Amino acid sequence: MTATYESRGSRIRSVLGSQAFMVVLTLLFLSPVVWAVVSSFKPAIDIIRDPLGLDPTTFNLDNFAAMFGDVPLGTGFLNTAIVLVLKGSMILFLAPLAGYAFAKYEFPLKNVLFGTVLVTLTLPIVVLIIPLLLEMKEFNWINTFQALVLPDSFNLAFAIFWMRQVISSVPDELLDAARVDGAGEFGIFWRIVLPVIRPGLAGLAVLTVMNIYNDFVWPVVVTTSDSMQTLQVMLSTLAQNIAGNTIGTDYATITGELLAASSIALIPLLVIFIVLQKHFINGILAGSVKG
Amino acid sequence: MTQTLQGGPRRFSLRRRGAPYLFIAPFIVIFALFSVYPLTFALRLSFTDWRGTGSASWVGWDNYTYLLTNPAFWSSLANSGVLWLLIIPAQVVIGLLAAVLLNNAKLKLRGFYRTAFIVPFVTPLVAIAQIWIVAFDQNYGPVNDLLNLVGLPDIGWLTTSEWAKPTVALLFLWKTTGFAIIILLSGLQSIDGTVYEAAALDGATRIRQLWSITVPLIRRTLMFLVVLQTLAVFQMFTEPFVVTKGGPYNSTTTAGLYLYTHITRADLGTGAANSFLLVIVVMLLSLVFVRLLRAKD
Repeated sequence: MTATYESRGSRIRSVLGSQAFMVVLTLLFLSPVVWAVVSSFKPAIDIIRDPLGLDPTTFNLDNFAAMFGDVPLGTGFLNTAIVLVLKGSMILFLAPLAGYAFAKYEFPLKNVLFGTVLVTLTLPIVVLIIPLLLEMKEFNWINTFQALVLPDSFNLAFAIFWMRQVISSVPDELLDAARVDGAGEFGIFWRIVLPVIRPGLAGLAVLTVMNIYNDFVWPVVVTTSDSMQTLQVMLSTLAQNIAGNTIGTDYATITGELLAASSIALIPLLVIFIVLQKHFINGILAGSVKG
Repeated sequence: MTQTLQGGPRRFSLRRRGAPYLFIAPFIVIFALFSVYPLTFALRLSFTDWRGTGSASWVGWDNYTYLLTNPAFWSSLANSGVLWLLIIPAQVVIGLLAAVLLNNAKLKLRGFYRTAFIVPFVTPLVAIAQIWIVAFDQNYGPVNDLLNLVGLPDIGWLTTSEWAKPTVALLFLWKTTGFAIIILLSGLQSIDGTVYEAAALDGATRIRQLWSITVPLIRRTLMFLVVLQTLAVFQMFTEPFVVTKGGPYNSTTTAGLYLYTHITRADLGTGAANSFLLVIVVMLLSLVFVRLLRAKD
């Protein structure tokens, strides 16, 4: 794109053209989020009567108050937070640990074991849903946190694959020096490897948080009781719940509450994303393994 | 795992030899319990008739022949196929254009655009799907209001079977195109800029440069993207589940959503058989794309 021999006029035209394309794309990408968040502050009736209208003097928190009165969204947040902490720490501990073994040790069956990681990555998720659900029933794990946390070979395998690449760039001399100093195998991992790969870990952490927070297909299958639903599951049945709880609820009220709940669900990740943008992009790119 | 054994050199090396197995063991346990076991279980299940309770009866290939002769199964695949056509070409074209423009160091505001493009990828799909329902409402939504502003009539985005698919496709495109742009951008950044200078000297136009230089050079990245998105489109579940419930008239019952209907009807044997058929379809499609893009070598 660094064409050197161009007339000035055509260069200006191409700059304008590029900017126009980027601006249109930005508008398309941001407008649904901006519209939803802004509208959630409008009186419910105005959202449907004049969806594009904007009158900041009428802004209020009524939709949010009504929504929290109708739906136990706090419980959803709490459940998601618990799953985030449990599953997040599990993945962030086990993945670098296994990644370290694959990156820095030679041992019999290494290739076979690494093969299981690769197989897990190519297994479509749909094929596991039904048998996993039955297994959860067998274990009596329906509506439990262990069901929301443990059965996820895919995300763990992905994290191991990534951490193996990150850790293989750690110099062997560093590990050998620690070994000479008498550090145990786990001690080397804990005190040398983990601190050295902190940037990679941060990328993994951000991407893992996003995946767990947004996860829907598995939680919706494995939670049937309201008290165990994660935020996303609760959000998916919000409209039916509002309409079912209060007979005669009108479309405007439901819409207002729906937008309020969706906006609240959006905000935590958007904040994390804006603060930790660089780690996010690294995370996405690490996922795209260019062979 | 944290115990520190004190001992002579022999114990030391024993510990060192055992360590990697211990470090990998947790993954292997999770893999065995939650991948291998359910998979073998599903394979057996797909040859039985089982309603979730009581005993399962062996039915041989019946579930598979039932599905393969069932128009609903084929129409779920066809729906996913149409969605694929609506999504993938558009995503590749938009993604490539945006990535090429972002790759130009002289473009003003590139950092801002890059951030803006990833916002959709970060947002929770369920929340966005709910916003989609409100935004594309035929009578009260802002999208039809915008159409009216430029003199176009209302569209029954979610209420007519012709428009429901494009509406779901738009949601998928909105959610994942930023991801596609980032992936393609990483491919572009690995290209040596001097090839373009040579092309410009030869008088090649920009479009021609894009088609005959850029695309072949990032073929692998493109292949990766198309395979990944094909898998995602054929397994698509959340978008139609939340936005359209598969309707109207099953027009948005994707392959992934059709699979779910077996669970809700507690027809688990058929569901398991359907999963394996879907896996075969998805694997075949991936193979086709890998072949197609390799053939250009």
